[in-house]
Amino acid sequence: MLFPEHMRDAIFQVEHLSLVYPARRGQAAARILDDVSVDVDRGSALILVGPSGSGKSSLLRCLNRLEEPTTGVVCFDGRPIPEFDPRELRRRAALVLQTPVLFEGTVRDNLTVHAPDATLDVSERRLREALTEVGLDGAMLERDAAVLSGGERQRVTIARALLRDPTALLLDEPTSALDPPNAILIVETICRLRDTRGLTIVAVTHTPELVRRLGGALLYLVKGRVQAYEPVNDGGVIDERLQAFLAGTHR
Amino acid sequence: MTSRSFGVIDLSWWQLSLALGLVLVVAAISLRERLGLERDLLFGAVRTIVQLYLVGLILAAVFSAARWYWVLLILVAMAAIATHAAVYRLAKPIPGVYWIAATALTLSTAATLTYVIGMVIEPRPWWEPQYLIPIAGMILGNSMTSAALAGDRLQSDLFARRDEVEARLALGFSGRDAVQPLVRAALRAAMIPTVNGMMTVGIVQLPGMMTGQILAGASPLTAIRYQIVVVFMMAVATAIGIPAVRATRGGPIFDSRTSATAVPTLSWSTL
Repeated sequence: MLFPEHMRDAIFQVEHLSLVYPARRGQAAARILDDVSVDVDRGSALILVGPSGSGKSSLLRCLNRLEEPTTGVVCFDGRPIPEFDPRELRRRAALVLQTPVLFEGTVRDNLTVHAPDATLDVSERRLREALTEVGLDGAMLERDAAVLSGGERQRVTIARALLRDPTALLLDEPTSALDPPNAILIVETICRLRDTRGLTIVAVTHTPELVRRLGGALLYLVKGRVQAYEPVNDGGVIDERLQAFLAGTHR
Repeated sequence: MTSRSFGVIDLSWWQLSLALGLVLVVAAISLRERLGLERDLLFGAVRTIVQLYLVGLILAAVFSAARWYWVLLILVAMAAIATHAAVYRLAKPIPGVYWIAATALTLSTAATLTYVIGMVIEPRPWWEPQYLIPIAGMILGNSMTSAALAGDRLQSDLFARRDEVEARLALGFSGRDAVQPLVRAALRAAMIPTVNGMMTVGIVQLPGMMTGQILAGASPLTAIRYQIVVVFMMAVATAIGIPAVRATRGGPIFDSRTSATAVPTLSWSTL
């Protein structure tokens, strides 16, 4: 759509995706996503914007199968995602939540946490490197995770995802729980990671700074439908509805 | 009117209706304090009378028929009702919860009952309803409460700790592994009343069975021996429920479309 077909190297291909929650207990059926199609190229960024309840987070969660679409197909790295072991898929398309979740224990415990049936083989050096990559001091490894600040917590969750060598980062409002200085630090971290690691980024965000710095494409969702889908050029967009929406968030 | 048999004072209808006076006192207090409980009280009182009378009639029939299959049928019915009572109050159904509760209650009760009847008390014949039915009832009653507690706790945790579960899923945990800490917390919560009960048994209140035996004329020393067996048996029955829950492998909690390693069912966002 944005580029000629032969130039594409799509990591995510979303085709005619719909997500409907069936009616239950007196609640009517809810159409969360309605015929959404979008591609995300390797190493590029897709930013999902739209009013709350527009289905941005649900779309993000369809990419690593925390939600199962009602109809439609999502391909990751050329294969439909149901063909992947969900655990493998979720390691390669790492989700970072709005509210960082750290488990009991030290930062080290949190970085090395893994499923009982899996192994996570990381050297001391890699642990420290991962912390440095997100702008934290390697000496922080032995700190109790419970005493970290909000910004530090979010960066630890990003470092934790990086240690699993993801191809893509899925970010669900990664900065909205943070104060502006910390939000900027996260934005910088994310942009740096995209450049140094060639990570593909799909982000739900309302932070104009992140939209501007990440570039890539913008997908504007309203009530589960795609209203606009276009590349970001120097932070500027063409579509009027999208302009109006972003102007609203810039305010 | 009062007659004595086996050293027990038999209660006449007149004496029973005097007991009903107690309910009227509660109703009066409820009215005065505007608790709005009169209707429920009345219903509860009627239900107590009808239910217990029916049970009494059925038990009397089974006791006099003295056939093992009738006793077994009663046990099966008790297990079915206990299963229903353990899960029906869950506000939002955990998928497969009936199956999990039925497995846990049946296995734990059967195992405990076999041991207590077969090796500890050893009545002759083994199905002697005088022993089998009340003991099965105590095990089931206790396990039922534990199962209800575990289900309730798991359900509320599945909401309250949703972020934590999703974080684990996002880190490549299988669905089963992702909810493991929640399952453990629920099972612990289920054990707590039983373990606490062991600490205060007989001090704060005389347990029902002991009370019954003493009222029936047994010596307190005989009664406590039975009670000791009962306390241990309840603890083990609750504990056996745990591997039984595990035996179902949490399977039903996960979406079949994506097999055991996938999305926690309660299609989170719909809840």
